[in-house]
Amino acid sequence: MKCQKCKVKNATTQVKRVVNGEYEEYMLCADCAHEMGFDNIFDSSMPDMFGGLIKSLFGTALPARSQASRCPVCGSTAGDISNTGKVGCAECYRVFFSELMPYIKRIHGNTTHCGKSPEGPAIAEKSVAEDARVSEVESLKEELDKAVQEQNFEYAAQLRDRIKELEGK
Amino acid sequence: MSEPVILSSRVRLARNLRSYPFPCRMNETQRAEVVETVRKAVATLPYELMFVNMEDISELDTIAMVERHLISPEFASSGKGRALAVTDDESISIMINEEDHLRIQVIKPGLSLYEAYEIADTIDTALQRELDFAFDKQLGYLTECPTNLGTGMRASVMMHLCAMGESHAVSRIASNLAKLGFVIRGTYGEGSEASSALYQLSNQVTLGISEKAALENLMNISGQLVQSELATRSRLMESMEYQDKISRSMGILLTARLISHAEAVRLLSNVRLGITEGLIEDISLDTIDKLMLSIQPASLMRAQGEKLSPSERDKARAKLIRDTLR
Repeated sequence: MKCQKCKVKNATTQVKRVVNGEYEEYMLCADCAHEMGFDNIFDSSMPDMFGGLIKSLFGTALPARSQASRCPVCGSTAGDISNTGKVGCAECYRVFFSELMPYIKRIHGNTTHCGKSPEGPAIAEKSVAEDARVSEVESLKEELDKAVQEQNFEYAAQLRDRIKELEGK
Repeated sequence: MSEPVILSSRVRLARNLRSYPFPCRMNETQRAEVVETVRKAVATLPYELMFVNMEDISELDTIAMVERHLISPEFASSGKGRALAVTDDESISIMINEEDHLRIQVIKPGLSLYEAYEIADTIDTALQRELDFAFDKQLGYLTECPTNLGTGMRASVMMHLCAMGESHAVSRIASNLAKLGFVIRGTYGEGSEASSALYQLSNQVTLGISEKAALENLMNISGQLVQSELATRSRLMESMEYQDKISRSMGILLTARLISHAEAVRLLSNVRLGITEGLIEDISLDTIDKLMLSIQPASLMRAQGEKLSPSERDKARAKLIRDTLR
């Protein structure tokens, strides 16, 4: 689709807003979006902008370490999340932890919550990071057994180091 | 009461129920269930909130709510499976099934971020007893968009930076604010459109910074902006050209028969400055601030009780302004 302003370049930015009482939705190219001040990725009224950013980041070969291709609770794939910039459910943060972490760090500059937490039992829950680490260790151990059986010792040594590193945390 | 520079403060908390997917992944049944679950929890709050199913209200009423900053444009775009709980004075509201299951919002006049947060916090704590919110020890409150992770808190102040806007100082400081994790953006459209000199300053980082620290930072920066705006105003008011501009703005508002939204907002911004600097008497800031909201298209038509063409709106708007300011 072409940009609705310059009608030349390809549209990459979707803008939704209410101006003078009318709900508007239109597509812009990156240059026109910039010109009109729509390139602030944090603008909450333009969630799709953020999607575009995530998508562009996903394209640059990042480590996809999680085993699951689909969230078992809501059915989202990593692709769905990268396309929309929207996470499907609370479980997705656990399932796609390693894919999401680089963006979370990029957005906030931090990766650990500080502030209010719900009173009661919810506090005692393990964090998704711990969970993700435990499940990664488990899958690495399985792979290690397999590597040993296949006498692929060089790979086994790498796996052992990685397990040590994760368990040492 | 509105203040010379700061019109209002707002705090918004994003919360989600653990047992449902986020709104982007919910089907109709789940949406209805979330609305019902939240409705029951809201009924236990020590505040009297009216419950509105967004499907039941007209498009005009919905857009007027956006104009009053009560709901987001996104929330207004479709009423399906969405509801709003709101107090009579609209200072407390909860959007249900917007981008997150719950968006708790508190608006207070003037610079009152702590007061607004205290109420939002009380509501959140009370709702937490009834609802199981998605929370993770490391990532904090889990939200549909990772930009809200952590506290899920977005706090903002609405500021009238007419003098700084005039000298383009706002755009210059915007990039510095971004480095500190804050964003400042014009309201009522961007760039060349209706320039009301009203800006919204808000925090962007929600993960790794506590609510208290984020509010303190925002208070701090707001305070600095207020000082800078007031100093710029005094300098500006020394010029006869500027005083003339303000008086002429008042003249047009008092006599115009047709006035567009963009022009009205620009002139009202000048008059607002004239009031705070003592050039215009007998009109309160509250009157101007209310007028700024009520001259918007949907709000105007709602007050008139009928759909109006743009030129009919310009006529109704001019009359409303004349009647209010006389």
